[in-house]
Amino acid sequence: MNKLLAIIKREYVQRVRSRMFLFTTILGPMMLVVFAVVPSLIFNIKAGGDTRIAVLDQTGKLYDRVSSSVLKDEIETPPPAPSTDDVMLRKIGPEAKNSSIDALKAGAQVRFQVEPAPLQGDLTSTKDALNERVKNGELDGYVVIPADVFDAGVVQFYARNLSDVPTRDKLQERISRAIIEQRLLDANIAPDVIRKKSESVNLQPFPAGGSGKEDKGGAVIAAFIVGFLIYITILMYGQTILGAVVEEKETRIAEILFSSVKSFTLLIGKLIGVSLVALTQLTIWGLVLAAFAVYGVGMLIARGMDIPEFHVQPLMLTYFVLFFLLGYFLYATIYALLGSIVTTAQEGGQLAVPVVFTLLAGLYLAFPVIRSPDSSFAFWISMVPFFSPITMVVRLVTQAPPFWQIALSLALGFSTVVLIMWVAARIYRTGMLMYGKKASIPEIMRWIRQA
Amino acid sequence: MLLKLSDFLQPKKAVNVESRTTTLNIEHVTKRFDDFVAVNDLSLKARAGRIFGLLGPNGAGKTTTIRMIVNITAPDSGRILLFGQHMTAALQDRIGYLPEERGLYKRMKIGEQLRFFAELKNLDGREATRRIDLWLEKVKLSDWRNKKTMELSKGMQQKVQFIAAVLHDPELLILDEPFTGLDPISVALIEGLVLELKAAGKTIIFSTHGMEQAERICDDICLLNKSKKVLDGSLREVKSSFGRNAVALRVDGAADVLNDRSLVSQLQTSSDEVEAVLAEGIDSQELLQRILATGARITKFELVEPSLRDIFISKVGQTNE
Repeated sequence: MNKLLAIIKREYVQRVRSRMFLFTTILGPMMLVVFAVVPSLIFNIKAGGDTRIAVLDQTGKLYDRVSSSVLKDEIETPPPAPSTDDVMLRKIGPEAKNSSIDALKAGAQVRFQVEPAPLQGDLTSTKDALNERVKNGELDGYVVIPADVFDAGVVQFYARNLSDVPTRDKLQERISRAIIEQRLLDANIAPDVIRKKSESVNLQPFPAGGSGKEDKGGAVIAAFIVGFLIYITILMYGQTILGAVVEEKETRIAEILFSSVKSFTLLIGKLIGVSLVALTQLTIWGLVLAAFAVYGVGMLIARGMDIPEFHVQPLMLTYFVLFFLLGYFLYATIYALLGSIVTTAQEGGQLAVPVVFTLLAGLYLAFPVIRSPDSSFAFWISMVPFFSPITMVVRLVTQAPPFWQIALSLALGFSTVVLIMWVAARIYRTGMLMYGKKASIPEIMRWIRQA
Repeated sequence: MLLKLSDFLQPKKAVNVESRTTTLNIEHVTKRFDDFVAVNDLSLKARAGRIFGLLGPNGAGKTTTIRMIVNITAPDSGRILLFGQHMTAALQDRIGYLPEERGLYKRMKIGEQLRFFAELKNLDGREATRRIDLWLEKVKLSDWRNKKTMELSKGMQQKVQFIAAVLHDPELLILDEPFTGLDPISVALIEGLVLELKAAGKTIIFSTHGMEQAERICDDICLLNKSKKVLDGSLREVKSSFGRNAVALRVDGAADVLNDRSLVSQLQTSSDEVEAVLAEGIDSQELLQRILATGARITKFELVEPSLRDIFISKVGQTNE
């Protein structure tokens, strides 16, 4: 027992004190931000300047309306009616309405410069002239509005670069806005009236039977954060275990250790020690998040920002820890097993690729589970031990499943852990003392049988 | 050296250096890995207060034998008695083991590392700290206590590893090739420490294929080859039973006598002296008389014991043919 404690202590103290721990503690949440936000930001970056387009208007009456519509981002809303209910609704705004994640994508930057393109001679020669200007870089593209646009509803866009989809979408949206308005005017209907009367309805989500507080998508974000943290932590500490086992094998420390303790004691001590490091890190993250929730969110809300709220019950926290430990011991044991059969960390990394994919699959499977947490798909996926540490936690956050499902998932998971540990201990024992070459599958099967 | 080993080794029940107490008794032990027999029907005894040399070429089964002694692996058949008992986990704490393939945690400080290894042998923390200080001073590494392994030279690391093996004051110390890669000064230092431990009544098993080293410090030897014991006994017995009869001499003249194949079977000249291996049934006295009879002047006439190296080569060579 003393020896086990000595091993746990060494693993814990050495790792928590290391610079690596400090680094990952800071880096982890940053990775979360990077993973969640940066891709959409990058996608929306418009690296060049304004898009310069010319408009060739064959109807003869649309140019002003089209150019002002294209230049304007939003149609000016009519001055707010003096009603207090209305203010709250408009603050959220039509585009921010959906969810906070979508809101990030909505801000695609598209800016235009518009100029008229008068008809020079016939259509073909005008287009030739415009093509020449596009070629010379004076224009990025031009729009041809045919005379029959009100009936046919087709406008041609010629441009150097057609793969800038956000720009195309915006252009289409704004030109159609102008043409719709013109159609309404032609039919003697005031566009302002139409706009006001056709304002869309806002769907306010409430959890059924809940406290009556509006749900602002907090659960979805929380599910994502928790799922991601479990994923990244298991991955990180799985690799740590792999590295530690390979080090002991490579430097032949294992030989000294095995002459003092049982191989199983060593394996368990290592797994427990590193799990405590991981829990320490998660606790730090949790506390930072909680501090942010208490102070930061209050501050942001006071400034008028719309931040979704989410509350964590103590029981839920217990489940998080249990499922995290399940995932950790499952994957870390496999990593330890891999470490004991390879000769170098690089080799171990290669062998670990399928393990990483399995873990990543769990993370991706969490998305359909978030959408329908009580489907039979979600049920089965959250029963598979390799996925449940992420998928079941996501279900817990979004829509708590019945207790028996949670218990069954945990029972299945921890039985698998015991089974894998039993196998791993046998391979580890022999593998750690085999030097010089990677073990073959038949060899490993023999170690399991013989040990 | 100001420090005496007895300052910090626990007083042992008075062990007579000549004591015949058997520390380790290996009886008919066999170990196989699949079809390969690593150790075949091996029996040997190591006695307290003596240095037991486990010798043999690479792949002879030395490391497998040692791994069975320290309870890393178990024999397929036969039995191993340590201090008169069957191997248990508790007995492991009374053994110190310096493996041939050895290492330290690269990023761990020397002091902490030694303490960890001591804890794995159930040594109390404060006592461990005290002994670590003393040992580090003994091998002149006190200044390196708070340095990480990767900052130490290889020789320094090896000294640290030696300390890790002896820190818990084991009654049986197993050293697998302890001198490889050490400079002569460090070799002398470690050798001195080993002899001190022997004087303190410890049993030491010393595995090597460096015969000169073994010859210098071993009391008893066992020669393994191809997983079998080839010979064993005290170094003296082994040498005297090895029937090689050679004379080193420095002589002016008497070339006829020395070249007589019925007297001298083999003659080796080195600078100013010759080594003559006597023919079967010829006594060295007879050679001496014959040379004297020629009137030649003898300045040196010495019986040459076979070196361990000669015995090793001849025995291992024989069984390999």
